[in-house]
Amino acid sequence: MSAVVAEPSLTDVEMVVEEVWSSFLGAEDPLMIGPPSELQVGWSAAVTVSGEWHGMVSVELPTAMAEQVTRRMLCLDDDGQPAPDEDVADAVGELVNMIGGGVKSLMPGPSALSLPVVAAGRVARPSDVTEVCRFDASWAGSPLVVSVHVQSRTS
Amino acid sequence: MYALIIDDSRAMRSILRRIVTDLGFETLEAADGQEALDHLTAGRIPALCLIDWNMPVMDGYTFITNVRANAEWRDITLMMVTTESEHGQIVRALAAGAHEYVIKPFTPDAIADKLELLGLVAKPVPA
Amino acid sequence: MLYDPGKEYLVEARLLPLAREAGCADVDAYVVKLQTDFGERAKVLDALTINETSWFRDNAPYQTFTDVMLPAMIAARAHVRHISIWSAACSSGQEAYSLAMLLDQHLPSGWTAQILATDVSPKMLARVDAGRYSQVEMNRGLPATSLVKYFTRTGSEWEVSDDLKKMVRTQPLNLSTPFPLLPTFDIVFIRNVLIYFDMEMKREILRKVHQVISPDGFMLLGSSETTLDLENHWGREAHGRVQIHRPAGYTPTSAVLQPASLNTTAMTGA
Repeated sequence: MSAVVAEPSLTDVEMVVEEVWSSFLGAEDPLMIGPPSELQVGWSAAVTVSGEWHGMVSVELPTAMAEQVTRRMLCLDDDGQPAPDEDVADAVGELVNMIGGGVKSLMPGPSALSLPVVAAGRVARPSDVTEVCRFDASWAGSPLVVSVHVQSRTS
Repeated sequence: MYALIIDDSRAMRSILRRIVTDLGFETLEAADGQEALDHLTAGRIPALCLIDWNMPVMDGYTFITNVRANAEWRDITLMMVTTESEHGQIVRALAAGAHEYVIKPFTPDAIADKLELLGLVAKPVPA
Repeated sequence: MLYDPGKEYLVEARLLPLAREAGCADVDAYVVKLQTDFGERAKVLDALTINETSWFRDNAPYQTFTDVMLPAMIAARAHVRHISIWSAACSSGQEAYSLAMLLDQHLPSGWTAQILATDVSPKMLARVDAGRYSQVEMNRGLPATSLVKYFTRTGSEWEVSDDLKKMVRTQPLNLSTPFPLLPTFDIVFIRNVLIYFDMEMKREILRKVHQVISPDGFMLLGSSETTLDLENHWGREAHGRVQIHRPAGYTPTSAVLQPASLNTTAMTGA
């Protein structure tokens, strides 16, 4: 309706993701930019923004990285055992919450942020959305993708 | 001195718990605003609440308005710790009675700086 | 500067973008280039200096600014209604803008103030001029009420208001070489920078500061720094755990010791 169709700049999205990473995860391994990759999605999470701007922000990670993120955030020892699924879902959810909140702040407001949706595998996206921003990065040698989708203009 | 950590993410509560424990607090936790209110009504009154905004059941903003509506809880210091960072939202939270506001992501130093501003943490006197 | 052992990757991560920009294949090749290229060396210094700086850093010095220095200067400068401040080695400008916020809150109406922010790094001065700070920087010690009052969002950053920017002027300045022409300052903040110089240079810098500070002015060093044993141009006053330095020979007025009696000593500093 009257919602603004606008997209965040890649540089700003990079900055948002980098700040989340360096604050909670990157003390030892910095987040590196690019290259684009076809990653094996192990875990993904998404939040939606609705209000003056409408969009969906999602994060996709390979399983090993999702577990590594979880261990760092929950301060668990790496005992060789996979982290429990509910811990991974919690940590990856908080990750997309912070990134989504950062992206929301780049866009015209006021808008509301949803609670995160987390999935083992890919989060289903509505069919009428278009990717307007995609940030490929790597962390500790593995790839990850942060993307922003908006409702297609024609709908 | 108790800090009540209110966040629906266990990972975030764990991060905050480590930071405030290092600063000398004992901690209580709640996964949403209602659980936090339950602590207060049961008489577990902390010196400080660290409050996320977006949570199921009861969000952090509603929690703050509830705390401020009860005169017996007026000594509790309320600090938002949230990814919500629109200018207007920070103003709203302060107007509702939040004393301070930290935007996620943050570093441990950021929490320590703010608690020092609030007079809840004394900075060690340099040698 | 010192990095913890095992943090070499950090150095590498910070240098790689510079190496690429300079057309080098990797950091090793870049290091070879650095041996002869002074322009690149300056860039490396910028990249490796961890500008860990927060708003109202250490808090107590700013309390002293508001409670002691500013009232004394307002009493002493009633005839000109202007206060001149120097934020030396200003880095990304949090100190200069923190002072600007306090001036905005405490300077009587009709008064003006100028803060000169100087640094050896042009890159840092450009950041001060832009007045833009990342989310992580904003979280460091800035009261939320000041954030909403003095900053607006621009993209992923926050930008300081034009009113504060108007109070702050920047100028490149290397403390270890002869100073350019400078105004006379009422208050000088030169914190946590002398530690980087040897004893002889510390003396030299303090002597030069002495030449540009007014006889009744105030100088504030970092909390671990002192003029003791350095030279005898400075007198010291303790306010709580903050030590303020004043040019030697200046007799502290009752305005400084008893802020309540400000009015009676309004012109003593002139």
